[in-house]
Amino acid sequence: MLNTMTFIITDVGACLMFLKQLFRTAIKYPISSKIISEQILKVTQQSFGTTALAGFFVGAIMTIQFTLQVKEFGALGYLGGLATSGTIREVGPLLIAFMLSGKVGAFTSAELGTMRVTEQIDAIRCLGANPLSEIILPRFIGIIISSFFLLLVGLFMSIFGGLLLGLLFSGISHEEYLRHIPTIVSGWSILSGTVKCFVFAFVLAAICTYKGYSTTGGAKGVGKSVVQTAMATMVVIVLADWFTSFLGDVALTIFMGE
Amino acid sequence: MTKATKEFFALFGRTMALSFVPPFRWKDIIKQIDFVGWQSAPIVLFCLCFAAIVTIIEASFHMKIVIQNDSMVPGFSSLLIIRELGAVVTALLVTSRVGAGLAAEVGSMKVTEQIDALKMLGIDPVPFLVVPRFIACVVCGFLLTLIANVTCIGAAMLVSQIKLGYSPASFLVAMRAFVEFQDLWFASIKGLCFWAIIPIVSCYYGFRCQAGAEGVGAATTKSVVTSSIAIIFIDFVLSWVFSHFY
Repeated sequence: MLNTMTFIITDVGACLMFLKQLFRTAIKYPISSKIISEQILKVTQQSFGTTALAGFFVGAIMTIQFTLQVKEFGALGYLGGLATSGTIREVGPLLIAFMLSGKVGAFTSAELGTMRVTEQIDAIRCLGANPLSEIILPRFIGIIISSFFLLLVGLFMSIFGGLLLGLLFSGISHEEYLRHIPTIVSGWSILSGTVKCFVFAFVLAAICTYKGYSTTGGAKGVGKSVVQTAMATMVVIVLADWFTSFLGDVALTIFMGE
Repeated sequence: MTKATKEFFALFGRTMALSFVPPFRWKDIIKQIDFVGWQSAPIVLFCLCFAAIVTIIEASFHMKIVIQNDSMVPGFSSLLIIRELGAVVTALLVTSRVGAGLAAEVGSMKVTEQIDALKMLGIDPVPFLVVPRFIACVVCGFLLTLIANVTCIGAAMLVSQIKLGYSPASFLVAMRAFVEFQDLWFASIKGLCFWAIIPIVSCYYGFRCQAGAEGVGAATTKSVVTSSIAIIFIDFVLSWVFSHFY
């Protein structure tokens, strides 16, 4: 137990030190936008289908559950608004971030870990280049930006899935489904969802690049760091979800005075 | 139907069939239950407590918009937790831990030719490797989903006391009005189905692992992604099926 705690604390500290080093590199060295856009394209292409599929089913599930709940009150008119608002604010970012952590996070840490273990990172250093600015930083920025795109795609697909299931399952026409979305989904909700997307993407990028970069111990080490990445991102995403909701609640109280 | 899908369903069917055929490898099963259930439990329960807090906060936000007060929050959020959140979040968390772990384990066995060695010795790898993991996952899925739901409800109760001022007693009364006992059964069945898919997908990708370190990494990634999507898809199907029972 104590060993695990020490390990976790050491790991968190090392990750923060890694981030500090990364930011310092980002300020000092110029990064070519070409490499970054290559990364963005690669990550987005890889995960586009997965995210869209997951988003569609998330929206569908939300609609089924909300239908069962609001039917008893005869408030089916509110179904579209409620399901969309719940998806945008909370469930969409969370579940899609889970998918991304499995797809992008595990892939990146496996790639970087293999590079580390086969001494490609040391080779880059030998050639006089900085591995942080050449390999890590483009991936870091690429993951953040493309996660953003992917989350947007997922959210749109989830609204579409909800719409379709509203039609098929609860018998609500698309006009009625869409009618209450503007009354319930405020700018505040969209802002909250966007902030969540950004926080999750940042956490994901930080953990997977750190874990990949600090891999040791051959092929087994790569497997180990992939598993650790998947686990750590899931846990930290849930914690970040709570934290952002909490902050949003506090901000709402301050600004709206409720 | 492509060859890969055929192989997957063949593995699934064989595992299911062989689970009921002796000899049962009790030692292996217990060891896997320790890895799959016991070691995952603290982290899953810890995360679910935070998920419950978020659910309460979000539910009260929405309730305030639609009906101007938050008196329905305990009932609605406990319904959402038991019907959906508890089982799905547990399964997704476990996918990343157990699924990735199993795929990495079986994949490195494949790469280091240990699986070929088993075949040489006349041992079928499916009952030897997959079945104990499958049985352990199914048992743990059923039990851990129940425990996770109860913990999640407990955390929700705590938060609604602190944040909204509903005492645990009034929370339970509100919950009783919304939640029926069959909901708990449905949640456990959902958990069982989600967890059953995890070892099959991981072992499938582990068996097909390409040589080298990249191969193991790719197998791990694929197994996590495929099982997550499968879980969300099964959840959709089961929600649809169960909705006819209400």
